[in-house]
Amino acid sequence: MRDVTFSELGRLDADAPAAEDTFQMDEDAFRVFYDRTARPVWAYLSRMTGDARLADDLLQEAYYRFLRARVTYETDAHRRNYLFRIATNLVRDERRRPRVASTPIGGDEAVDRADPRSIDLAAAAARRMDLGRAMTRLKPRERDLLWLAYAQGSSHQEIADTLGLKRSSIKLLLYRARRRLAAVLREGER
Amino acid sequence: MISERREAPAFQASGAIECPREADVLEAIAFGRLTDASDPELAAHAARCSICRDLADVARALRADCETAIHDAHALPTAGMVWWRATIRARAEAAQTVMQPITVLQGIAGACVAGATAALATVAWRFADASARLGDLVSYVASERGTLVSGFGFEHALLVLVGLAACLVLAPLALYITLADD
Repeated sequence: MRDVTFSELGRLDADAPAAEDTFQMDEDAFRVFYDRTARPVWAYLSRMTGDARLADDLLQEAYYRFLRARVTYETDAHRRNYLFRIATNLVRDERRRPRVASTPIGGDEAVDRADPRSIDLAAAAARRMDLGRAMTRLKPRERDLLWLAYAQGSSHQEIADTLGLKRSSIKLLLYRARRRLAAVLREGER
Repeated sequence: MISERREAPAFQASGAIECPREADVLEAIAFGRLTDASDPELAAHAARCSICRDLADVARALRADCETAIHDAHALPTAGMVWWRATIRARAEAAQTVMQPITVLQGIAGACVAGATAALATVAWRFADASARLGDLVSYVASERGTLVSGFGFEHALLVLVGLAACLVLAPLALYITLADD
């Protein structure tokens, strides 16, 4: 299919419905929602993909899909969960794709050995890399579960909604994932 | 609340997947109070209960990493930028949906031209095959069509064929230029 040209866009501009009709919320409501959710969503995307630049792209895509979705939200929490569900699906799609070069997270800080703040930063970066490495040894679903539960503080019901799992199975799945990650982290410390 | 104390077994029964003090441990971690100084009893429990120990280790690491990630997310696009990009993309997709039938028509027209070219080439090939030489072909066509091409010699026939071929090549190009406005 050929690309849409600017003149076609211009021609359609007059007939095109307003963004408010195309999207499921108006711009002001979106700004409020975005400012509240963008950072946690980006954190989730960056940690689940392990690639900061990819997380930037997926963030835009996640909000686009969210805006285009024809879903009626009962609560603000439901809206937020739906956004995380979209983000989870995007991460899953990315995992299925062959990986090219990525922008690793947390490994590029310059360390000035004389500066105590720099040493703290280096220690934090090392801990982050340990966690990153430990997370890669888990199954993707385990990573999602742990992040949503302990980094985002989501409830079991919210996790079930986001990951498309049964609420009753979350407790056991979380327990197993937690045990595995704790074991890998301790193994790394030794 | 952490103040609500429940007795948890010092050693988890084998097969147990939860501890009644998990919520307390999580809350204490969230507020940075799982220390000997802040809550020695809970800290001691978390140290000896395998479930709470795992929970504390994992939750601490993930919370710290989440805080770092949120701090790292300083260069995110603004809400206005994300909204603007989404609007442009939605409009482009709407335009593409509208343009789809035209693209299909262009495809059909292209296929027709290609089909006509192939048919003409086949006919010409058969004529050439039947006649030993191109001159024979022209004579044959002239005798069949009477006055239409009578008087045309070999050179004229060649010109006609070249013109026909040029038309076949230029027709799809003209079609494209007509239908595509950029």
